[in-house]
Amino acid sequence: MNRRSVLLGAAAAGLAARLHAEPVFRLALTPVFLDNDAVVIDRLHAALAEGMQRPIELVQRRTYQDITGALLEGSVDAAWVCGFPFLQHQRELSLLGVPVWNGKPLYRSYLIVAPGDRAERLEDLRGAIHAFSDPDSNSGYLVTASDLARIGETPDDFFSRSFFTFGHRNVVRAVAAGLARSGSVDGYVWEVLSQVEPALTAGTRVIGRSELLGFPPFAGRQDRSLDADVRLFRETILNLHQTEAGRAALATLYLDRIDPGSVGLFDGIAARMAAIHWSP
Amino acid sequence: MLDRFRRIPISLRVSVLTALLMMVLGVLASQQVLTALSRVQDDRVRETALQHISGLSVALGPQVLRKDVWEVFDTLDRARAAHDGQRLTMTIVADTNGVILASTDPRRAPVDARIDRFVTDAVAPDAISITNASTLRVLAPLVYQGRPIGQILAEVDVSDLLAQRREASLYLLLGNGFGTMLLSLAGYFLAARILHPLDVLSAALNSGTGTLRPIPEAEIPRSDPEFSKLFTTFNAMADAVEARSDAERRLAERERFVSLGRLSSSLAHEINNPLGGLLNAADTLGKFSDRPDVVRRTAELLQRGLAHLRDVSRAILDENRLDRTGLPLRSEDFEDLKLLFEPEAHRSGQTIRWEIPAGQDFGPPAAPIRQVALNLLLNASAAAGPKGRLAVFARSGQGRFALTVQDNGPGLSERDLDRLIGEKPLPPGGGVGLRIVHDIVAALSGRIIHERSGGLTRITVEVPLRETG
Repeated sequence: MNRRSVLLGAAAAGLAARLHAEPVFRLALTPVFLDNDAVVIDRLHAALAEGMQRPIELVQRRTYQDITGALLEGSVDAAWVCGFPFLQHQRELSLLGVPVWNGKPLYRSYLIVAPGDRAERLEDLRGAIHAFSDPDSNSGYLVTASDLARIGETPDDFFSRSFFTFGHRNVVRAVAAGLARSGSVDGYVWEVLSQVEPALTAGTRVIGRSELLGFPPFAGRQDRSLDADVRLFRETILNLHQTEAGRAALATLYLDRIDPGSVGLFDGIAARMAAIHWSP
Repeated sequence: MLDRFRRIPISLRVSVLTALLMMVLGVLASQQVLTALSRVQDDRVRETALQHISGLSVALGPQVLRKDVWEVFDTLDRARAAHDGQRLTMTIVADTNGVILASTDPRRAPVDARIDRFVTDAVAPDAISITNASTLRVLAPLVYQGRPIGQILAEVDVSDLLAQRREASLYLLLGNGFGTMLLSLAGYFLAARILHPLDVLSAALNSGTGTLRPIPEAEIPRSDPEFSKLFTTFNAMADAVEARSDAERRLAERERFVSLGRLSSSLAHEINNPLGGLLNAADTLGKFSDRPDVVRRTAELLQRGLAHLRDVSRAILDENRLDRTGLPLRSEDFEDLKLLFEPEAHRSGQTIRWEIPAGQDFGPPAAPIRQVALNLLLNASAAAGPKGRLAVFARSGQGRFALTVQDNGPGLSERDLDRLIGEKPLPPGGGVGLRIVHDIVAALSGRIIHERSGGLTRITVEVPLRETG
């Protein structure tokens, strides 16, 4: 062991000691994520830890309800949620940032079927078995439910059977395997999947695309929006594209950057919530 | 078939039988191997199916209770990816009513369809046995917390195991076939080597001459005590048979003289009787030399007497001449017989009727037939006794020559008939005349017919005539 390695070891030990001294910042991740990709989790964790200079814990939950619940009860400090639950709890939550994909903080919901299916629009799918992602997902439920509401139908009446897969990737799997005839899926996830798992999306065909809607945002609790760690987190995510680790994390997520955004981005979702007569 | 097999050389027969036994052994061994292989394969598939189903039962319990289509599918799909996905081609989970909740191939077994059409040929996991079908279906109840909550059906692809079985059968067939062939070949050479002495013995037995050929000393396998003893015994036997044949030949030769010997006293009389007359004639010639009429009559008497003596001695000479074998039998031969035999017959007061066509060439060789005729006549004369009546007939026709000698004696004894007609070896002792008739006729490919009717004994010898030329 030479002097240099001793010094490097001491420096590393000092950083570790400092990280352990700080309280852990917990970020809850939603199933918007490509949940099969450990690399995404690792890089995001690394970028946040570097930016905030404190230990980060990424908390994964199965459903949006679990994630939103964890944020509201304070067991996590921030969460990457969907626009639909964000609007559901708009009074308790504060917007920390909105990811920018393909140059816009917007995305669409896709309606998918198997490639050989003759259906060309939602109306052709009456009596089908349909796969939703999550009852609290905008793209994976609300868009299709509100489209049906606009023609006077409900999912239970329109489809012979519908079920939730609690993951956009699972919706693609269900339709590709033939378990469901059709599915409602996050357009961003479908497009990213078509690049990273083209064999999977090749088993599906998009027959419906919604209007552009607000991208799933990062949110924190309203009453903690002025806390130093929340502000540091907000600053870190808004500057991810300026650090190497941040760019690596954004690249694996196929995102450009994270913008401050505004609540107005989610007006389209609010309109769809009104269509199904949702009220807080 | 069996006779044809027996005609194959013994060394080949032994190796063919060995090969057959080895084939039977090979088939039995192959059967054992294939049975063991089937058992191992059945166990393997059973274990796979049981593991799959029991594992899924634990994981699927709560999801099936909730009828959570996605979770059931997700579990099945992940199990398929993690498990022996090549073997378990499809798994279906249905509720207690037989309605499908999910399957790994929803296009074949869609959600909400009935499981019925898949369960028709399904068996319980512990009853799995690979037959000729490349896909097996296994059906088991889905039990959670001690109560049935649904059914689980797995399709098991066993085509690779079937192929393995076919391959094993083929290799066993080829291996056994090749091994049997190789060992049969080796067996053939070994058997040929071991049984070579038998071939030598067989060749010595069938030397083509109808006699036994002694095995040369050099060919006796001294290293093999059993065969050595067998060969030595065989050689001793061959020598004994040869010695016996020699004795028989000598006896037959002598018999001709014996026949004549039996006639010698009559013939002596035949020569002696005229001699008295001839001497008287010579005396008369001396006394009455001056009387030309007496001389002439006496000279004629002398001439007749001497001519008779000449004929008798010529007949005796002819009977003994050995170079007559090639000459064909003619009517004159019977004249000789008459000359030789009649004095003897007359001495006993017997009468003989000769029915012989004059001036005829009968066809068969003269010497043996003369010997046959003389022997039969001597036998008939002895049987007929004093004042007996004898007859001799000879004729040729329809490709055959027939000679019949008839007498009014009491008939042939059993023993004499055996000598004349029987094929059995003769007990020692007794005359050889009839046996010589038997042997001569056999050598001429003829046959002997014995008849007894109206107080007459008739013995006919029939000999086929060779093509004239």
